[in-house]
Amino acid sequence: MTSLARGAGTANRRARSRGARSWMRGPAPVALLFLLPALIALIVLRLAPAGVALVDSLYRESLLSGTTFVGLGNYLELFANPDFQNSITVTLLFTVIVNPLQVAAAFLLAVLFTRKAAGSRFWRSLVILPIAVPPAVSAVIWSVIYRPDGLGNGILAVFGIPPQSFLTSPEQSLMSIIVLLSWIGVGYWMMFLIAGINDVPGEYYEAASLDGASAWRQLWTITFPLVRRPLAFVLVADTVSNFLIFAPVQILTKGGPNGSTNLLMYDIFTRAYTFADVNKAQAEVVILVLITIVIVALQFRLLRTED
Amino acid sequence: MTVSAPRRSSVQRRSSQRHSGRRRPSTRRSVLFIGTTLLAAVAGIAFFAPLWWSFVNSLRPGSETFRYLNPLQWQTFFTLTPTLDNYTALLDTDLSRAILNSLIVSVVTVLAGLAVCATAAFGLSAFRFRGQGLLFSVVILTFLIPFDAIAIPLSDMFRDWNLQNTFVGLILPGIGNGMAIFLLRTFFLAIPEELVEAARLDGLGWWGVFTRIYLPLSRPALIGAGLMLFLFQWQAYVWPLLMGTDREHILGPVALSNLQGQFQVDYGVLFAASMVLVLIPLIIILSFQRYFIQSVTTSGMK
Repeated sequence: MTSLARGAGTANRRARSRGARSWMRGPAPVALLFLLPALIALIVLRLAPAGVALVDSLYRESLLSGTTFVGLGNYLELFANPDFQNSITVTLLFTVIVNPLQVAAAFLLAVLFTRKAAGSRFWRSLVILPIAVPPAVSAVIWSVIYRPDGLGNGILAVFGIPPQSFLTSPEQSLMSIIVLLSWIGVGYWMMFLIAGINDVPGEYYEAASLDGASAWRQLWTITFPLVRRPLAFVLVADTVSNFLIFAPVQILTKGGPNGSTNLLMYDIFTRAYTFADVNKAQAEVVILVLITIVIVALQFRLLRTED
Repeated sequence: MTVSAPRRSSVQRRSSQRHSGRRRPSTRRSVLFIGTTLLAAVAGIAFFAPLWWSFVNSLRPGSETFRYLNPLQWQTFFTLTPTLDNYTALLDTDLSRAILNSLIVSVVTVLAGLAVCATAAFGLSAFRFRGQGLLFSVVILTFLIPFDAIAIPLSDMFRDWNLQNTFVGLILPGIGNGMAIFLLRTFFLAIPEELVEAARLDGLGWWGVFTRIYLPLSRPALIGAGLMLFLFQWQAYVWPLLMGTDREHILGPVALSNLQGQFQVDYGVLFAASMVLVLIPLIIILSFQRYFIQSVTTSGMK
């Protein structure tokens, strides 16, 4: 993100140094031609649907009276709807558990794999391999692991733990989904943090060892503060991606049992296609987009102010 | 500065060795080494086990998937009679067609997407003009709106345009990728201006500057951006579920999840299909590992 700000800065400076030259006679028209396909794609395929969702969310369609403007009516009804309230609660609970869990796991693994150990690179690549697994495929593989007679209970039995119900129990279903997502997610975020840890100058540790600081103290007083930036980035990027979880819910639990895994994306999907309540679904899309915009904007601020 | 820094650190290293020599370091250090190795191995094996188990299951008949799980035994994770029967059986199902569709969609996305994103990045880095900052912020703005979040309204639009169950409908959303433009632009900005000015004086047109100077110099960034576009399509699930569900256009992940939902499942074939869907991106990531890590960290932070 730093070069983003830096790059924009140099572009501005360059533009100014050129002085006042007629815009049309300058390179602008050629540059626009180069930019045109991407701009059309981005505007039509990313920005327009968000605009459509916003407009649709303010209307209501019915067979009797056609399309009518209802203002924030759809939003008010949504927030009064117990299913939507439950979906918001589940999504928040999920967010509060999954993100700290994945970031902490990624950080500890990154620390572990930047220490001296036999075959460190090999073990590290084993942790990274699952990032190639598409979320839908991960869901299918874990559906077999989570079966009552599957690998999950087989491994628990080795430790003397009785069989668990995993996806079919309202208490365990959300946690089961978190596990299968972390399997493909943690290695990915770990790569960012390993890059961050490797950027910390080795002299810092040498100086700390000279002063007799233990490895544990070095972790919290040197490594942790110096990888704050990558950590903040990973936390925010992970949070955004976890707001958009859909495949495991749709494939494994259909939001159940008892709505215990009814995450926002799946709630939008069922509202739009199962209940055919398109306008309220669009209102939910707007809420989802707003949440992600706030988080990403936060990321930009976090990373910029620390420069 | 660059000369003195290593010298100082080597002095420090020597003195730190002397220091720790007094605190009988060899045993402490080797205990730490062994402990770290053990932890690293446990973590590596824990992450690898589900993948390996799926792989072994793809090599034995579906009837044996659950045979060695209670209690766990060495056959759980190994088989002495591996067979490729599941993979040949896969060829007779609709799944092979779906995986082929996934390949077509992903490869076309990479080619078309690179053309669109590289030209845009060129427009944002080789020229200087008023309004450039504004256009760049449009690209940045699209970062703010993740694709999956707007997939449902976009699918309504595509349905109106009769793009449902077409390859065009499946491919289009993948080609305009703000992240890829951003990555390529960062790389393009490092290309010296003098090079461009010299080429322009020699009479090379802008298209020539783009194809003869920028593209050949930017192979690592192009590979990184290509990987990004490929993985976006290969891992997609929401969009292919909304856009292409008929037999001719269904994509691998959707077809696989349909199979999982059926009453009678041949788990051998299920695992074989999963393995193909995992191995294709895995081989691509591993062969371009360097560029992948570079692109991941560049687009993220640097």
